[in-house]
Amino acid sequence: MRPATEPEGVGRAASQRVAICLCGAALLAGCGREGRGDAASASGAERAPIVLRVANWSGPANDSGFLALERAHREQFERAHPGVRVELEQIPGLGQFESKALLMIASGNPPDVIQLDCSSAAVFIDNGALLDLTPFIARDSTFDEAGFFENVLALTRRGDAQFAVPLDFTPMVLVYNRRLFHERGVNEPRDGWSWSEFRAAAEQLSFQRPDGARQYGVNFVNWTPFWVTWLWNNAGALVSDDGRSARIDSPAAIAALEFLADLARCKLMPTPTGAATAGVDLFRAGRAAMHVTGHWELIEYRLDQLDIGVVGLPSNLPQRQTVVYASSMAVTRAARHPELAWEFVKFQTSAEVQRARVATGVAISANRAAAAYYANDPLEQAFLRETPFARAPSGALVARYGVCEELGREMMEDILSGAATPLEAARRAAGLMNAELQR
Amino acid sequence: MTRGGGENLRGWLLASPATLYLLAFSFLPMLIAGWMSLHDWHLLRPQVFVGLRNYADLLENPFFRGAVWNSLTFAALSVPLGVVLALAVAALVNQPLPGVGVFRTLYFVPAVSSQAALAMVWIWIFLPQTGLINWLLAQLNLRLGTSAPTDTAFLSEPAYALPALVLMFAWLGLGPRMVIFLAGLKSIPVELHESAGLDGASAWQRFRHVTLPLLGPTTLFVAVTTTIASLQFFTPVYMITRGGPRRTTDLVAYHIYNEAWTKFELGMAAAQSYLLLAMILALALAQLWLLRRNLAEEQA
Repeated sequence: MRPATEPEGVGRAASQRVAICLCGAALLAGCGREGRGDAASASGAERAPIVLRVANWSGPANDSGFLALERAHREQFERAHPGVRVELEQIPGLGQFESKALLMIASGNPPDVIQLDCSSAAVFIDNGALLDLTPFIARDSTFDEAGFFENVLALTRRGDAQFAVPLDFTPMVLVYNRRLFHERGVNEPRDGWSWSEFRAAAEQLSFQRPDGARQYGVNFVNWTPFWVTWLWNNAGALVSDDGRSARIDSPAAIAALEFLADLARCKLMPTPTGAATAGVDLFRAGRAAMHVTGHWELIEYRLDQLDIGVVGLPSNLPQRQTVVYASSMAVTRAARHPELAWEFVKFQTSAEVQRARVATGVAISANRAAAAYYANDPLEQAFLRETPFARAPSGALVARYGVCEELGREMMEDILSGAATPLEAARRAAGLMNAELQR
Repeated sequence: MTRGGGENLRGWLLASPATLYLLAFSFLPMLIAGWMSLHDWHLLRPQVFVGLRNYADLLENPFFRGAVWNSLTFAALSVPLGVVLALAVAALVNQPLPGVGVFRTLYFVPAVSSQAALAMVWIWIFLPQTGLINWLLAQLNLRLGTSAPTDTAFLSEPAYALPALVLMFAWLGLGPRMVIFLAGLKSIPVELHESAGLDGASAWQRFRHVTLPLLGPTTLFVAVTTTIASLQFFTPVYMITRGGPRRTTDLVAYHIYNEAWTKFELGMAAAQSYLLLAMILALALAQLWLLRRNLAEEQA
């Protein structure tokens, strides 16, 4: 209580302090987390907008046109859901998305929706970070699972539980420089070709150029996702399907490694040091005739006006195999607006949005209708032809696969640099992978 | 309250922001990291107390042992180079020459620049074909190994990647080390040099018998801080080599980062951090003891 003798100025100052404190408290309350609820419970613009947090790996490095498109889609969603604001949380940085996204989840501050690279989806799914979308799918008559490529949808499925809906994908294929094939009089490859046919073509396409530079039959990138299919196409693998043990030391896998080591030894493909020494992308520079890659590189090849062809991977098996790399949309288990998050996932994976998103050429839409829209292009057709042969990347199924991939890369470095034979390197890598997988 | 008590209180009040900062952002995280190191702690799974098992596992882990070896090799190469280079540059910019202030500033620029941006510059310096060092080698028609003069892939060859980072480390920290040496040089009375000169001492003799002994405490400080910095070297490794080729640049600080943010094994990463702390402490104490003994011998 204020004493009766208190000067008026002091009383006014005290009142001002109380008012400032109340304002501060109100401001702080405004900064706090809003209550759980979805658009349906909000009465439009009268209340503070519901913020739907969406994390993806876009960033300033992305094509500005693509970022503008992303913004337009976000605004379209907001118009369809009055009272909702979509907040895109872009996590740039090569190889940092998973760790930063996991940290957001572990620290109790998860986004509602998260874009997943399916080749590392198991880390999120197996650690309980994602919401099972099956109940949403079951009661939503406007969503049709059959509208998606089944093997792409299956990447994020565990039993009956579906943890994500795919946005877009690419199978790994063999891209070749048609000009170099014609110049050397080599027949263009056809789907279903064998390793011996591939090697014969590589031999014809490899030579010492008059300027002293080496012309390679095939390019090689020592990144496990780029070469793991060589193991598969010889009935080998890096790790077992259940992810409990290494398979890199199996006879089939070692034979595949010997095949690759021999290509490097015979200078039909560059070693990692040789590729680094060249200082350029050998395929884009026209110094390697063939390259195993995915759809995303078509953007650069088109800019370079390379005359390319696309063919399935050569195989020693009756039916060739490839891997599918995909991105998906998932809802985090602790999402504050799960219903709204599902609506956003459905919106982003819809044929209409997908048709615009994949127009950049980065990938093939996992939505069949959107993919069909571009299917008249012969290169697109070639990619679509490979899709039925595409298996899940092990990282979609095995949470610790990332560590095995890194060990695989080191193993390949040892082999191609001549520091170890394929047998020695594979046995050593298998021991290390087993130690990791059984931790 | 007594006058002394009041001064004490004022002293504590003045020191309290820094003390609180250290408590909150250094000592408390250290304690938490110590507690984490005793747990099997994956980022998304409940932690399980495992006692000292993480430490025992690390002693058996060939990759961690390799990283420790790489870090020690890196320190053994980079600390002498960093210290000698900084002393040489400090001696140069201590000369009363016109425009020497510009050089002092230029040498300090790397210290106030983004290490990530500088890493990009060094990638170009080490590039095959078009890089500065390969260009210089080509001008001199020098070959490294079997490579053509312009073809050495410094950052991809196991033999050259670590020395390349050593060079970069010596350059990155040159400015602060130079400034400390410069302060040391300025504090040496000119009369000592003059009297040594009058006694017929050459420039080298004056440097060896006057400057170096009087720079002892400065050298000790620079050597210890450079050793600590070399064992914590991270950004250029992350930006340029990522521990490769063939793990030759997998230094402990980068190894810890990978353990935590590639494998998400936070408990193991915390144990590695504590072992790194022990390593830094041991080396710093050994240096202090050795250099103090040398100083005492010289003064005697």
